[in-house]
Amino acid sequence: MKLLTKTTLYIATLSLFLFFLMGIIFFQVLKNLSQADLNRELSGLKEVVESHLTQDPQHLPIRIVGIDSLSVQKVDAGHRQEEVFGDTLMLDAASNQFRTYRYLMYQSARGQGPLLVKIYKSTAPTDQLVERVTLMMTIMVICFLAGVFLLNRTVFANLWKDFFKALEKLKEFDTAKEPVVLGEQDIEEFAELKDVLEKMTRQLSRDYRELKEFTDHTTHELQTPLAVIKSKTELLIQSENMGPGEMKLIQAINASTNQISRLNSTLTLITRIENRQFTGVREIDLARLLDKHIEMLQELVELRGIELKKTYSGVANKIQMDPGLADILVTNLLKNAIVHNREGGSIAVETGPDRLIIRNDGAPLPFAEEDLFRRFIRDHGKGKGLGLGLSLVKKICESYGFLLEYAYKKEQHVFTLVYSF
Amino acid sequence: MQILIVEDEDSLRESMVSYLEMEGFKCEQAGNYHTGLCMLDQHDYLCMLIDLNLPDGDGLELVKLARENQDDTGIIIISARSALEERVKGLELGADDYLVKPFHLSELVARIHSVVRRTRIRGAEILKIGVIRVSPEEKQCFVEDQAVDLTRKEYDLLLYLMANRNRVITKESIADYLWGDYGGGYGSYDFIYTHLKNLRRKLEDAGSPDYIQNIYGVGYKFSLD
Repeated sequence: MKLLTKTTLYIATLSLFLFFLMGIIFFQVLKNLSQADLNRELSGLKEVVESHLTQDPQHLPIRIVGIDSLSVQKVDAGHRQEEVFGDTLMLDAASNQFRTYRYLMYQSARGQGPLLVKIYKSTAPTDQLVERVTLMMTIMVICFLAGVFLLNRTVFANLWKDFFKALEKLKEFDTAKEPVVLGEQDIEEFAELKDVLEKMTRQLSRDYRELKEFTDHTTHELQTPLAVIKSKTELLIQSENMGPGEMKLIQAINASTNQISRLNSTLTLITRIENRQFTGVREIDLARLLDKHIEMLQELVELRGIELKKTYSGVANKIQMDPGLADILVTNLLKNAIVHNREGGSIAVETGPDRLIIRNDGAPLPFAEEDLFRRFIRDHGKGKGLGLGLSLVKKICESYGFLLEYAYKKEQHVFTLVYSF
Repeated sequence: MQILIVEDEDSLRESMVSYLEMEGFKCEQAGNYHTGLCMLDQHDYLCMLIDLNLPDGDGLELVKLARENQDDTGIIIISARSALEERVKGLELGADDYLVKPFHLSELVARIHSVVRRTRIRGAEILKIGVIRVSPEEKQCFVEDQAVDLTRKEYDLLLYLMANRNRVITKESIADYLWGDYGGGYGSYDFIYTHLKNLRRKLEDAGSPDYIQNIYGVGYKFSLD
């Protein structure tokens, strides 16, 4: 959820809840106030009635200003009635509707005998007032909410402008390029964020550069002594007075040196891929790439008596990636399919509009499936592989966001590479 | 037959010199950029081997200057850096070949021969050892005057053996030479064996003596004795 949506949602929920609560309280208070007011008015009217009764206990005027209705009853001498206020409904003759009235009932001793007096006052005017005020309140709340909404949008966009700018810059940040530089910030928190981000990206860029340098130096430093060992053993082999025993020793040194040298260059390659040092992206025709490498590996295929079948989908399959890495990717997948095949087995290379599938016969994996792409995991029965080929493939796929899946189906290893989504 | 070697690692340079001198090349050595620079135009070199990482200068600069000076000199870059961009840059500046450290000396010799053939003799040279004659231009092989039909790999293998005649060449170096990154150890020695068996059979069928010796399982040697 976007920051703006979330903030708006919070504000809306909270203010609606608050306004609802306040509305109820306000309504109650208003009602109580108006009731108290009516009570006071009724008490005042009681004085008027009393004074009328004092003047003329026999007759009350038909109309007394302020009283909507009046009832006077004679009661027995022993009757006692406290003074009470109450609400009641009465039928209004004119409109034939029930209306609410506030009344004051008391016992008057002003007449000849005890009288039960009930003074009625219509609540309509005060009710109307409460209604009006409530309506006004509601309209104000709606206006206020709309205002908050708009304000939130504009203020938000303005306040967070620098934040979004920084976010954009961060998205574009690449460890291989310059560290992020953000403009001056007048909001304290953003200024802090800017400092932290700049420091972090500077650190990242520096680490990356140092790692790159280290990798470069390591290869150089390792390859040179290896080159010396290799050249010396080769010179030694040329020596005339070497017996078969010595030759075997030299051969063993030579073979191991070659292995270290291969290991070193492959590990360097993996590091370079992880550091994203391959940036020369070009459009590559998958079918042509496959044909090229299949031809190069033809011998290996024939030697093992493997039948290789190609099925290319009619559509041109283009991959956007570094050509060098594309070569490494395809060679390693194909080589893997040849080496971990059985004598006289088969390989099926298939392309779809978005994927490359390579199937090959072979015994099930001698290790857990999830270890397949890990470094130095290999079938020790199968010659001198380094166990780096597939982890190299995996690294390349990861660096381009390709999907690489493995499955063992019908005694076949199936590698599926999905390169576009 | 002068060869200039510019390489800062003494031990490696000495190995190269020893091996090349066994091959009959005369070598001039430079251990750094400045010595190399001074020696650039002292001789008419057949081939120059230049290391890119020199303590006091950039080997690429040396390649550029060498190419401006003499255009019929073969230039081979020797570098521990294997990045594609480096290779492309080196070749663009005028190098003829790019060899990544560590390399086999036998491969170096084969590359020198091949570069020299291209730059000096413009490929017209015909290699002749014993009764075997190879014309690299047409990629053809003859025993006496009879053409021998070889596959591409058998031809490459023969040329490699002949370029390193009288030297023991290891199976690893043959594998690297013939297949490069495609070999990678997996059963490539079986191929060498297969190709060599076929090559021998074809040459013998054409009437050539067997010049190829097995050396204690280490490698092979092409020799007239």
